[in-house]
Amino acid sequence: MESLINGLISLSDPYLLLLLLCATIGGVIIGALPGLNATTGAALLLPFTLTMEPVPAIAVMTAIYCSATFAGAITAILINTPGTAASATTCLDGYPLAQRGEAGRALGMAVVSSTFGGIFSVICLMLAAPLLARAAYNFSPPEYFALTLFGLSMLASIGDGSALKNLIAGGFGILIAMIGVDNLTTVERFTFGSYELYEGIGFVPVMIGVFGISELLVQSQNLHIKREAIKMKSIELPTRADYKKTWQTILRSSGIGTFIGILPAEGATVASMIGYNEAKRWSKTPEEFGKGAIEGVAGSEAANNAATGGAMVPTLALGIPGSATAAVILAGLMVHGIRPGPTMFTEQADFAYAIFWSMMLVNILFFVIGLKGAKLFARVTLIKGQVLWPSVFVFSIVGAYALDQSMFDVWVALASGVIGFFMRRYGFSVVPLAIGLILGGMLEMRLGQSMIMLDEKWWLMFTRPLTLFFLVLTALALFGPSIWGRLVKRRAPIDSNGE
Amino acid sequence: MPQGSGEKRHQFERWLIPGLIIAFCLGAYWLTTTFKTMPPILKRGIQPSDFPQLLLLLIIFLTLIMVWKDPIQIKERIQGSTWGTIFLFGIFASLTSIDLFLALGMFAAALAVFWGERRVSVVALIGIGVPLLIFFMFDLVFEIRFPRGLLTNLWYG
Repeated sequence: MESLINGLISLSDPYLLLLLLCATIGGVIIGALPGLNATTGAALLLPFTLTMEPVPAIAVMTAIYCSATFAGAITAILINTPGTAASATTCLDGYPLAQRGEAGRALGMAVVSSTFGGIFSVICLMLAAPLLARAAYNFSPPEYFALTLFGLSMLASIGDGSALKNLIAGGFGILIAMIGVDNLTTVERFTFGSYELYEGIGFVPVMIGVFGISELLVQSQNLHIKREAIKMKSIELPTRADYKKTWQTILRSSGIGTFIGILPAEGATVASMIGYNEAKRWSKTPEEFGKGAIEGVAGSEAANNAATGGAMVPTLALGIPGSATAAVILAGLMVHGIRPGPTMFTEQADFAYAIFWSMMLVNILFFVIGLKGAKLFARVTLIKGQVLWPSVFVFSIVGAYALDQSMFDVWVALASGVIGFFMRRYGFSVVPLAIGLILGGMLEMRLGQSMIMLDEKWWLMFTRPLTLFFLVLTALALFGPSIWGRLVKRRAPIDSNGE
Repeated sequence: MPQGSGEKRHQFERWLIPGLIIAFCLGAYWLTTTFKTMPPILKRGIQPSDFPQLLLLLIIFLTLIMVWKDPIQIKERIQGSTWGTIFLFGIFASLTSIDLFLALGMFAAALAVFWGERRVSVVALIGIGVPLLIFFMFDLVFEIRFPRGLLTNLWYG
């Protein structure tokens, strides 16, 4: 309780409030720019937080996360291009509404449902994260190993790649984490005698490369696309009739988004898809979906913003990222010397609650900024690629250099960008690579510790109930969808014959 | 591009990518056999090569399944603008030996022009204004020291 109040008190710092305001505006701009999203924004801005204290630094990154996730709706509604992948489903009904001259109404609903979803999830975060941390407090290395393995197995279903390709990409991420001196034995691995590789490959340059520079190369394929925004008079708050029509959808999607966000590695994109589908399934007028249903906008936006708070639950309580952006925030925590996990709520509880309250404040800030400034931000969506991306490149390179003031990191960022582009071209998502890189070291360390603890008898892991539970979950995450698909296929001919 | 040529390229890449992944993993596996082996009392649970070897075998296994179950599919060919951008990366990398910010400015301006920007004022803003702004922000606010070069020496003295 004391930490809860201390966290709130820390928000009375004018410097922190100013930073949060700037970060919220910056996040809205980033989210509104096609091609840039919360993950890229957080990765690019991470180096800017280096000289800050941990609370403002992480608060800035979470502000970018929340506000950019909301702002993806602006481009989705006005130019039919999702500013972030999580807003793809917002296009389905937001753009038809805008074409009918109801852009202001659609944006108003997006702002309200995003704010509700965001605040709902932060409240859940405040309640769930300490409980989860308390439950995990007594975990031994085998439990942690199995939990991390479960987190990695969830990579199978994230990003835009297939399950197999995601796992391969995640495997390469873990492999990159092996580079350098082994923490357990101090043996050099894959260093080729290079001094720069002794400490391994840094998270930050790889993230800047795979999220920022690879996106630049993706954008170079889209130079011919011309964007035109639908004009909007002003943003309109939902009417009483709109609220009556959507309140259940907003509430349901907020719950779905928070739950999906809590699942390791599952982020706002999956949440918005499920939120949208459920909104359609429960709607009295499902035939209107795709043609301009206001519930569609509400369902998608409440879910994707609710996922932000949800994703922070495993990130802070267990040290396992809940989404791609949470992975960047996790990297930020590590850069600032904070090790997320159960001990955070006993040793650094004030810090944790300050982050929760700042996320709460950001959700209120983007409500105000979204309502007052949506018209202005709508113009941002039309900034041309030839102006935006060269500037992003300069940011990326300087950001990659800044952390360790090393040109080697610049080459790592550049190489990661090119590799990330080719990965995406061949259907491999870059998100598992980044998450694998973050969790790889931890996974190996926990395995080593487990082997010491179990006297090198790895099979004893299966005799520990919690370890077995997480291993079963891992197996379900990996093989469940495939087994389920086969079962459905096997039933399909019977059904069709029956018809 | 004729249909047949695109199809051939697709077939080629379908096999090339898994081939490259497996070749890379085999090479890396060979490297792991050169890692030092710790005596039992110092090995702390697992040998330094154990985990990477396990991982590499898993990646090879997954790649083989991928060839069978989920082969590489190419959505569209890489455009000239992308190859040109990668070429500009190379120019940027070679110019950094003269000065990082000179390289950044020249790259940013060249990329803007290459991507179709023709307004001189905008190109100047991107090529000079943005790098200058970022340099002074990082130097003065974040106290980041950049590598010395032709231009940065003017500031550092």
